[in-house]
Amino acid sequence: MRSLLLRIFLSFWLIITITIVTAGALGFMYAERARTALENFEVSEAMLEASEALRDEGHEGLTDWLESLPDVTATVVYILDDQGTDLLERRIPLPIQMAMRRFGGQRPDGPPARGNLRPARPFTQLIGPDDRVYTVFVLPPQNAVGRWLAERGRMTLAILALIVSASVSYLLARAISRPVRRLRESAVAIADGNLDTRVADRIRRRDEIGLLAEDFDRMAAELERAWQRQTELSRNVSHELRSPLARLRVALELARRKAGELDEFAKIDRETERLDELIGQILEYSRLDAGPHEERVDVDLDELVRSVAEDVRYEYSRDGDEAALEIRSDVPASVSAYPGALRSAVENILRNAMHHGGPDGSVKAELRREEDVAVLTVNDQGGGVADDELDSIFEPFYRASAGRSETSSGTGLGLAIAARAVAMHGGSVSARSAADGLSVEVRLPISG
Amino acid sequence: MNTPAANILIIDDDRELTAMLEEFLAPDHIELSARHSGEDGLDALRDGSFDLLILDIMLPGMSGIDVLKQVRQTNDIPIVMLTARGDDVDRILGLEFGADDYLSKPFNPRELLARIKAILRRSRPAPDKRRRIAVGGIELDAASRGAVAGDRSISLTGTEFELLHCLAETPSEVVSKDDLSQRALGRRNLPYDRSIDTHISNLRRKLADAGVTNPSIQSRRGIGYFLAVDE
Repeated sequence: MRSLLLRIFLSFWLIITITIVTAGALGFMYAERARTALENFEVSEAMLEASEALRDEGHEGLTDWLESLPDVTATVVYILDDQGTDLLERRIPLPIQMAMRRFGGQRPDGPPARGNLRPARPFTQLIGPDDRVYTVFVLPPQNAVGRWLAERGRMTLAILALIVSASVSYLLARAISRPVRRLRESAVAIADGNLDTRVADRIRRRDEIGLLAEDFDRMAAELERAWQRQTELSRNVSHELRSPLARLRVALELARRKAGELDEFAKIDRETERLDELIGQILEYSRLDAGPHEERVDVDLDELVRSVAEDVRYEYSRDGDEAALEIRSDVPASVSAYPGALRSAVENILRNAMHHGGPDGSVKAELRREEDVAVLTVNDQGGGVADDELDSIFEPFYRASAGRSETSSGTGLGLAIAARAVAMHGGSVSARSAADGLSVEVRLPISG
Repeated sequence: MNTPAANILIIDDDRELTAMLEEFLAPDHIELSARHSGEDGLDALRDGSFDLLILDIMLPGMSGIDVLKQVRQTNDIPIVMLTARGDDVDRILGLEFGADDYLSKPFNPRELLARIKAILRRSRPAPDKRRRIAVGGIELDAASRGAVAGDRSISLTGTEFELLHCLAETPSEVVSKDDLSQRALGRRNLPYDRSIDTHISNLRRKLADAGVTNPSIQSRRGIGYFLAVDE
């Protein structure tokens, strides 16, 4: 079917219509047959026989007569005494119970003869010689289904109805929910960075969900193309900007050889390296901007922080003096993360702290767990930042106005990269002033 | 000059750069031949004999990684690749496909010279080195720079051989990553550098492929690696 709207509409409409029509028709048919059966009985020889039996032999006569009637295949007759009990002590069927509740206790006026019947009532009454009232019900002859029902009871029918309606409902629900679930799986896969995920082939439908799947695939393809363009651009930029730098450095060495060492050469060298690092950081920042480009895996945060700290300590150690970077870790916390991006976040925050920590300043990093969140706090003693600038330091190229900026020679992108990378993991970064320094806090949701 | 004349091939599309490098390396008796595309480089490598290959990973057309894969199918020449800084993917991929070492471009040419010398020195075994070492199920021959497991020879790159040899000299003793780097790459282990770990993981895979379970390379986190031997 081409339209989901039509499919759902028709399904419900059909089911409801069938239910109403069937219930109405059955009820009408039953009532009609019951009336016919009663009328036939009233004018039949049987009624006269019953009446005579009651007159001549009283209660026992009527009971004997009732017992002598043919088996259930024919019209079924119930005769209830004034206590509401069937003469043959059979279980009283539901329609008769209902009729008794409505009309029970009424006594007909006049003799219980043919002329005194009240057609509105689904029964007729006989009055015995001792003035006892007998109510006569006539049920239409039962067919095979009716007999089966009478024998196995309504419970079976109820269970059957439950099973059938449940299966039909389940099939309809599944027809809607399964493709939606597949769409969702694909969306999750794309969010996790698998941009080559496609879904239309797994759904294969021509209704609204099928169209949605096709649109979804178009979106994914566009995303993938954009990502490829971005990667290509990054590569080209990287290549085009770095090639002149590479030539510059070789030319510089050649110049050194010819002219001897000059202070300016060392400066050129340093600036070239700085430019190279800046290019690297800009590329990394724009890469993070484009979304994740690696698979999400479980990362042991404690191990990651320690390993990055080792590298950072090494980088900032001078002349055999080990840089003061202290790591305290509470519990090992595993987070579902993009390993490269998360590593980059931790690295940039630690390097930023070491960078501003001052020559003899010590940096303390603490990893702890607060329920479902892993919290990494990095404290430095680099003089801190004014309170109204605390949010801004995570913006690219932001330079704090006082204190810290004097010693700054970083690229101005480190904390921005960290913030991007953490946000990619659904976490948050914040900064606040601590004792003569800055405290940066990273909060990451813990997986599982 | 203690480095004898050496023949080096560089594959890099930047002609100006290779010309300047040629000039830069000449005083150290290093002759640099340059090719500017992967295809030309592969041809040159087939025809001539070189002591070292410097390979730019960012080549137009046939990528540096593809060149690397092709070279490694037939040739165990030492390879130093040039990658962009921050491009960890290229770097790790390159090391996995058998490059010996890498330099981030733009590199300091003196650093390049140091790497070249370290690798060239390494490929000429020092006379005092123990010539044959047998550990567990493998035997290392320093002269031929080959490893043998039973009757199967294991094909190792120069760096991989050097790492294994270094670990095999002192079985069960942990060797720091810094020492491993000095021995195998002729340089310090740099921060943020996964070279040694990548080479070790290649080495483990090659040993496993050759069916060697004894000795096995074990790591001591944060310190280094050691060779575990069941006697």
